[in-house]
Amino acid sequence: MSVGESEQSKAGRKLAIATAMLLFSSHRLPGVRGYELRRRLGKNYLKIIDTLNHRLSPLGLRVKVVFEEGNDQPSDEDFDRARFFITLSEPLSLSDIVAAGWRIDDLAILSATLAYLFSRGGKAHQNEVMELLETKFPKWRIEAAMERFTRRGYLHKDEDNMIYIGWRAFAEVDQKELVKAITEISPGLSETSQDSSETSSGEPPSPSP
Amino acid sequence: MPNKQRTITREELLRIIQLCESIEKSGIDPFTVNVRELLQKLRSILESSKDLETVVLDAETLYRVALVIALQHRWLLEKASNLFVDTQIIATRILAADKRALASCLARSWRPIVSGEQLTKKMFIAGLEYFLSLPPRAGHERKLLLGAGEELQIDEEALLDRFRQRDVLESEIMNMHRELLERREEDGGLDYWSFISLEGDGRRVERAYVLAFIVSEGLAEIKRNPITGEVRIYPLESKVERSNPTSLAIAVRGREGL
Repeated sequence: MSVGESEQSKAGRKLAIATAMLLFSSHRLPGVRGYELRRRLGKNYLKIIDTLNHRLSPLGLRVKVVFEEGNDQPSDEDFDRARFFITLSEPLSLSDIVAAGWRIDDLAILSATLAYLFSRGGKAHQNEVMELLETKFPKWRIEAAMERFTRRGYLHKDEDNMIYIGWRAFAEVDQKELVKAITEISPGLSETSQDSSETSSGEPPSPSP
Repeated sequence: MPNKQRTITREELLRIIQLCESIEKSGIDPFTVNVRELLQKLRSILESSKDLETVVLDAETLYRVALVIALQHRWLLEKASNLFVDTQIIATRILAADKRALASCLARSWRPIVSGEQLTKKMFIAGLEYFLSLPPRAGHERKLLLGAGEELQIDEEALLDRFRQRDVLESEIMNMHRELLERREEDGGLDYWSFISLEGDGRRVERAYVLAFIVSEGLAEIKRNPITGEVRIYPLESKVERSNPTSLAIAVRGREGL
């Protein structure tokens, strides 16, 4: 085997390892930390991740890096502490999401909560969020949805009943896109599309994915 | 300085500390506090009272005010990064929007994580191998010793193949539940080890596996006497919902018995 082939097969194996590490949840949470990737793939792990990103792109996937603190120019240490995930590269359509088992009501609750939290710098008291949401949804539905979203990592609640944006929302939701979409809502138009009949009745909640 | 005056000063400082803390915790707009006014008040308190307790409390208050100033700085940065989107504007838009419009906004900005959480065949076999390799627990060695030279032979692949078919497993569960009900003794229970070995050592693991499903499904209770170590099964006529389910790990092993 030539040196070139050997290098190529080595790189291919590292790509396969990186894919398996990122796709398979080896811990309670999906994704892996940068230092875990460095330990398995070597110090050039960011190059491997970059290559993987290019390979995933035609499949509609991408590697998403979530830093512990927002950072415009992350250092090697920031990458080490960051969490790496594979996410879809393009958003799904609303009908696809509903077909996947999500309720319109739950999506609307999450959307409003996250948009409000983003505008408040990432946290707000539960009562404030509830007060806002109760104008549209019954209390039991909001509480059930919030509990579910907290469990899944979209939201985080502390002992003082402060609600924060959870790790999953940071990984999955584009903050600027969401805030932009909310501010673009035209009150006149939105009133015409009250057709969420399949989900917005007062039936008890069923498990969502 | 008279005591009464000192108490008033102390209360005033504590009130300022509390105010700063509440802003820090609640995340409300830190510009609702007039920092200049607070600092002037602190200065006047410090000038009028020089005793140690007041000075210490004054320093603590100054620290809290400094934190509020830091919060104001961060608040401005966040506002700038959010393209100056105000909370009020967002709240107004949310109030005006219908559910579908809100859901569409999330859909536009949402790219879900892709990850695998399924138990694979390889993992299941690894788990089973680990289960079978667990050492016997103290006090259980005597109960199901195989004869000299005998070895428990388990064809793992055959066992897994058999249980891969869901209907086979379900019928095994039904049959074993019926058998449990028939064999129960006067107290309504029967010995665990005797029961799983009824069909010989070769089928012991298989019977233990099916029995684990029966217990998990709520068709039987399993109890371990903490003093004697005896494990008994109490079959139930119908399925029961458990409010506080707990797990009991029992190692079933080959050569040495249990």
